[in-house]
Amino acid sequence: MSKTDHGVGGLTYDKSKKGWPNEVNIFAALILIILIFEALGQFLPYMNDQSFLFDTNGRFDTIFNEARLKIIILQVAIIGIISLGVTQVIISGGIDLSSGPLVGAAAMIVMSFAQTELVNGNPNPKAVFGDWAFDLPVIVPVIVGLCFGAFIGAINGSLIAFTRIPPFIATLGMFLICRGIAQWWTKGQPVSFPTESFAALGSGMMPVVWFALLAVLFHLVLRYTLYGKHTYAIGSNEDAARMSGINVKRHKVLVYMIASMLAAFAAIILSSKNLTAQTGMGQFYELFAIAMAVIGGVSLTGGRGSIIGTVLGAMVFGVIQSGFTYIKLDAFYQLMAMGAIIISAVVLDQWRQQRGSSRN
Amino acid sequence: MKKTLLAATAMAMLGAPMAMAETIGVSIARFDDNFLTVMRNGMEDYAGGIDGVDLQVEDAVDDVAKQLDQINNFIASGVDAIIVNAVDTSATEAMSQAAASANVPLVYVNREPVNVDTLPDNQAFVASNEIESGTLAAFEACKMLRAAGHAGGAKGYMLMGQLSNQAAVQRSKDVEDVIGMDMCNFITLIDKQTAEWSRDKAQDLMTNWLSSGEEFQVVFANNDEMAIGAIQAMKASGVSMEDVVVVGVDATQDALVAMQAGDLDATVFQDAAGQGQGSVDAALSLARGEDVEQKVYIPFKLVTPANIDDFLSKN
Repeated sequence: MSKTDHGVGGLTYDKSKKGWPNEVNIFAALILIILIFEALGQFLPYMNDQSFLFDTNGRFDTIFNEARLKIIILQVAIIGIISLGVTQVIISGGIDLSSGPLVGAAAMIVMSFAQTELVNGNPNPKAVFGDWAFDLPVIVPVIVGLCFGAFIGAINGSLIAFTRIPPFIATLGMFLICRGIAQWWTKGQPVSFPTESFAALGSGMMPVVWFALLAVLFHLVLRYTLYGKHTYAIGSNEDAARMSGINVKRHKVLVYMIASMLAAFAAIILSSKNLTAQTGMGQFYELFAIAMAVIGGVSLTGGRGSIIGTVLGAMVFGVIQSGFTYIKLDAFYQLMAMGAIIISAVVLDQWRQQRGSSRN
Repeated sequence: MKKTLLAATAMAMLGAPMAMAETIGVSIARFDDNFLTVMRNGMEDYAGGIDGVDLQVEDAVDDVAKQLDQINNFIASGVDAIIVNAVDTSATEAMSQAAASANVPLVYVNREPVNVDTLPDNQAFVASNEIESGTLAAFEACKMLRAAGHAGGAKGYMLMGQLSNQAAVQRSKDVEDVIGMDMCNFITLIDKQTAEWSRDKAQDLMTNWLSSGEEFQVVFANNDEMAIGAIQAMKASGVSMEDVVVVGVDATQDALVAMQAGDLDATVFQDAAGQGQGSVDAALSLARGEDVEQKVYIPFKLVTPANIDDFLSKN
C-alpha cells in the first residue's frame, strides 16, 4: 500500500484491475463457439469434413460459406431490432415483457393496411377492410405500425413513471393486452398478400440492413447524446438522476416509447419478410430479446450495457442456431444450449464485476 | 338484501338451462392456430344459424391443466354439452372422467384422444383420420419424383410440427412409412427438424439447410405454413421451384395461392369447418339424448394443380 490511499478509503488505482471492455469478452466467446462447431464438423463422422464457416466445395468466390454467414445474421436480425429497444429499457433500470406480443398485434394491424387487391388475378381472399384499404402507399402501413408502437409504449412508460407500479407488472399486463389485440383484430384469421412495395421492406437481406442501420443509430444515440446519458444515469441511480435535474418521468416514457416503436418496426419487417401476419407471431421474442441483451453484458440492475454488446449477443444466438442445424442436432438440444449459455453469460459477468470492484 | 340477490341469481342460474337456449362449452387448444381458427369459426357460424344454441368458446393456450380447468368450469356452470379440441391427446382420460361423472356429454374434435376406443356412452370423436393426410401428400410427392425421372435416387428434407403434437408425429411417421415402401424407397431424408408449424421458423431452417449446399429434390412439410416458409427461402436463394417437389398439408388460402403460382406441388385438404359443424351436431344430438356414432370421420382430400379449383373457396 502506498501513501496515496490516504483519505480515499483504501481505494487505489490498480492497473491490473482495469479490465478490457466487456464487449471483448463476448466477442471471444463468440469466436470460441464458432471454433467448437468448426471442430465438431471435423470430428463428427457423418459430417464428411464439411466446414461451418468456410467454403469447402468451391461454391462461393470468397473462402467463406457466404450462405451460412448470411443466415446467421438474418435469423436474428428481427429479434435483434427488438433487443436494441430492450437494451435501452434495461439500461434505464426497467424491463419490457410486452415486446413479443406487441410484434404479433402490430403485424396484424400493419398487414391490414398493406394488402393488395388482386392475388394471381383473383380478389384477395384474406381482405380485412373494404376496397379503400387495398394497394395503399407503403408509407401508410409503416406509419400506422409506428404509431401503434408509440401508443403502446406511451402507456407502458406512463404506467411505470406515474403510477410507479413495477415495470415487470406494467409490461406483463401489456403482454396480455397485446395478445388479446392480436387475436381480436381478425378473430384469429391470418392476414396475407401484401403489396409488392411492402414486401420489399423485409425481403432478402433487408432485415439485416435495418438491424445494422438501427444498431449504428442507437449506438451513437446512447453514446453521444443527452438522451443516452440520462438513460444510463437513471439506471445507475434514479434518485441521484432526479436530484441532478433530469426529468426522470418524462425520460422513462420516452425510453418505453422508443422500445415499443422498435418492436413495432420489427413487426413490419417480420410480416413483410413472411408475406403474412398471424396472431402467434412474436411468441417468446420478448424473452429472446432480453436474453440477447443479457448475453451482451447488459445488466438487469440497470446502468450498464451497450448496443455493441447486444449486437454481439444476437450474433451468439445466430451462430448457435445455425451451428446446431449444421451438425444436424435437434431443436431441444438447441434450447438447452441456449439456456445454459444465458446462465453462464450472467454468472461470468457477475464474477467479472465482483473481481473488478473488490478492494484488495 | 344481499341474500335475496344471491338467491335470485342462484335461482336464475339453476333455471337457465331449462328456460333458455342450449349452451355448448367449447375448449380450443390454441386460438393462434390457423387451421383451428377455421374450425372454430365453422362451429360458431354453424351454431349461430341454429336458433336457441349458444356457444361459449375458450382458448386453452396449449396448456393441458388450463384445459381441464375450463372443462370443470363448464360443468360447474351447467352447460348442456362440451366440445374439446385437446391440447394433449394423451391427457384426455381425466376430461372424459370429469364429464362422465357429471353426466355432461363430451365431444372431442380434430385431435384423436388416447381413450378413443373406451369413450363413455355419451361421448364422441369427430375428426379426419390423420394417417390419410401425411400419406396422401408423401405418396403424391413420390409419384411426382418418379415422373420427373428421379426414381434412381432422390434426397429431401422434412419440416415437422411441434413434437408434442400427435398430428406432427403421425404426419412425420406417414412420410417415413411412404419412403420405406418399395415403390418410394429411392427417397432418402438428409435431415428432419421441427419448425413448430411456423412459416418464419421454416424459412430460417430451410435457409440454414441451403447453406450446406447439398442437392435435394423434395421437401415434405407437416403443414402448409412451413411448406410456404421453405418455398420463400428456396426462392430467395435462387433455387428453381421446378426442380424441387414441395408438399404440405391443410390447403390454406395462402397455400393454394402458392400452388397457383407453381411453387407448391401438393397439399391435403382437411375440412376444418366441416369438423367444426360435425362436432356441434354430435354435441347437440348427445345433449338431446339421441344416438350418435362414436367416431365420425370426415375424409381428407388430396389437392394438386389439377383439382385446385374445387378448393379455392373452402378453408
